[in-house]
Amino acid sequence: MKKVTALLMTMVMLVSLVGCGKSDASKTSTTTETPTTSEATKAPDATEASTATASDPIDLTMWCIATESDSNRHAYEASIADFQAAHPEINLTWEATQNQEYKTKIKAAVAANEMPDIFFTWGCAFLGDFVDAGRVYSVDDVYAKHASELPEVMMGNVKYDGKYYGVPMTMNIVGMFSNMELLKEAGYDHVPATYDELIACCDALVAKGIIPFGCSGKETWAVTEYLESIIEKTAGASALNEIFAGNATWANDDVAKAVGIFQEMIEKNYFDPEGIALSNDEVKANFIAGKYAFYMNGTWNAADFDKAGLSDKIQVAEFPVIDSSKSKLGELIGGPSDTLAVAASSKNAEVAAESAFEIAKGICHYGYLDGNGLPAWTPDYDTSGINSLTKSVADIVANSSQMVLYGDTAMSADTANIYLDYVSQVYASVIDGKAFVEGLVNDIK
Amino acid sequence: MRKLYSNKLTIILFILPALILFLVILVAPIFLSGYYSFFDWNGFGKKIFIGLENYKELLTSNSIGFIKALGNSLLLALLSVVVQLPLALGLALLLGKGRKGERGFLSIYFMPVLISTVVIGQLWLKIYNPSYGILNVVLRSLGLDSLARIWLDRKTALGATFVPILWQYVGYHMLLMYAGIKSVPIEYREAAMIDGAREGQVNRYIILPYIKPILKISTIFAVTGSLKSFDLIYVLTNGGPLHATEVPSTLMINMLFLRNRYGMGSTIALLLIIMCFAFALIIGRIFKDKED
Repeated sequence: MKKVTALLMTMVMLVSLVGCGKSDASKTSTTTETPTTSEATKAPDATEASTATASDPIDLTMWCIATESDSNRHAYEASIADFQAAHPEINLTWEATQNQEYKTKIKAAVAANEMPDIFFTWGCAFLGDFVDAGRVYSVDDVYAKHASELPEVMMGNVKYDGKYYGVPMTMNIVGMFSNMELLKEAGYDHVPATYDELIACCDALVAKGIIPFGCSGKETWAVTEYLESIIEKTAGASALNEIFAGNATWANDDVAKAVGIFQEMIEKNYFDPEGIALSNDEVKANFIAGKYAFYMNGTWNAADFDKAGLSDKIQVAEFPVIDSSKSKLGELIGGPSDTLAVAASSKNAEVAAESAFEIAKGICHYGYLDGNGLPAWTPDYDTSGINSLTKSVADIVANSSQMVLYGDTAMSADTANIYLDYVSQVYASVIDGKAFVEGLVNDIK
Repeated sequence: MRKLYSNKLTIILFILPALILFLVILVAPIFLSGYYSFFDWNGFGKKIFIGLENYKELLTSNSIGFIKALGNSLLLALLSVVVQLPLALGLALLLGKGRKGERGFLSIYFMPVLISTVVIGQLWLKIYNPSYGILNVVLRSLGLDSLARIWLDRKTALGATFVPILWQYVGYHMLLMYAGIKSVPIEYREAAMIDGAREGQVNRYIILPYIKPILKISTIFAVTGSLKSFDLIYVLTNGGPLHATEVPSTLMINMLFLRNRYGMGSTIALLLIIMCFAFALIIGRIFKDKED
């Protein structure tokens, strides 16, 4: 009897442990989950999905980075609400995770081949790794239906081996935001249009005790917003693009020269020395508080500056040309990167692809109206209410001739991080331009 | 007893749940890390067998900087042993004598251990803020402007990061040692005092030898904890600026989730495990020799 009791107790323990494990797994999620509007049901298989009817509901899941604090949250909520109203036959469950954690989460999901039907991703190399692993569904057929409203030029960062694997939503560029009140104190009533004028303006600002630029050293991508703009306006967009694409080597004298120009600006006290220990949010807050005259960063900041009531006080422009024999105005850093993609393992891949296009279009629509970036999709709605900064960005992009995607997005993860490592050394003035290019040539395989 | 041992099935079944958890959660990942360390793998693509290349690159590449990261964590381990533990021991000896307000002091010293590391990290970030941080504000108000600086700059970041790490766990080690001191029979102390021993002599010849097993455990925890240190460094500097505060754990996260180098990340993980085991054994041996 004792043996039987012991055996039973052991079995109960084992069963209870399995039960706890499941329960704990569901509780440890750090994501913000948005409940579905209808009761979840078992997802139909691939053949069922293609012949789905209104009485045959389809379950779709979607992951993204639009958490409660994300400036795009409203755009996601509004777009998904529209989608669910238009498609009662689809149960869409979506959840948002913080940017950095999301990168880990989606990579783990791809590794385990347990991805959601639709997922947020960045274009170019980030998505490229997943495409190479065969985990992403090609959206060629669905794109053909939307080609008239989503220009092909916007699809460049989701195209691999001639096939499209994602739907872009918004696009952004690096802009030079200028505090006109501080410029006025230094005797300028306009944003410097040439490089020489910018240097003269910075000298005047320093003489007045105003710090020209703020840049976070704690987040190296923020340094690249400066450095890449300076390299582009020194070496030219085509040269930089070829380097990022791996078609040309970093051993480029113009790149070394551009690094020298950037470091000269640091040496001349154009940059806040405290920036090295600050996060980008802290630097941005300092700019909003009027500590810096200029802030070079993504144009997604336009919405926040507008919300802070700075639209009248701030202007946005592109960084001036440094070497006019190799670069010109209209060569920008940026492009469409925020993308929705569909998992190849999705049981309803075709429906998911159709849904991804519809949701992406809605996010683009509401995101543009909110001032979170420029639309990858051609607007077919009233855009007169958009804030003045975003309108200025739209003008800059309308006059652009070439865009180079951000280096850390354009290059593969390993290469991008080696590059970021060298960029941080440049910002701290540990290495010069020559050492920068030599180091990258040696370390990037 | 013999009957119990002969009932092997019952023993095995009772041990099995814990054993399965131990093997699946602890042992299997170690072996898997060892396996992955022989591959060039981005986590989801094709694995390419490269033998010991990851180990070779890790120990020789300047751009990865593993040796520097290891040096930082060994320095932290050293500081833990020569600063944190003596401080904890001093506090434990003081409180162990049964002073007034003993429980209150215990709670105060132990409080940092209970607070989330992320909260502590954010707190110290504010303390170190070059513009409005209390450290620079106090220095400036005392006329010591020349000492005010960017504390998380590459020259001072390592020391600035170590301070909160050491501070946070002083209370933890103090509590361990305090428990040990409280378990020393009062008769021993009284007998020594009657024989004319001063307080310092009582501590040295009675208390310390008595709590040696606890000192050993504290040393092992301090050293292995330093080698594995991650959370506070991640919040404060994320290993920067310019890898000045890099430790093997932050480097491992960087390799795994930023650079997509699962093979290299696994190599660092395995080396960390081996080092922790090795240090635990070495410390155990040192204390054993002294006991002998």
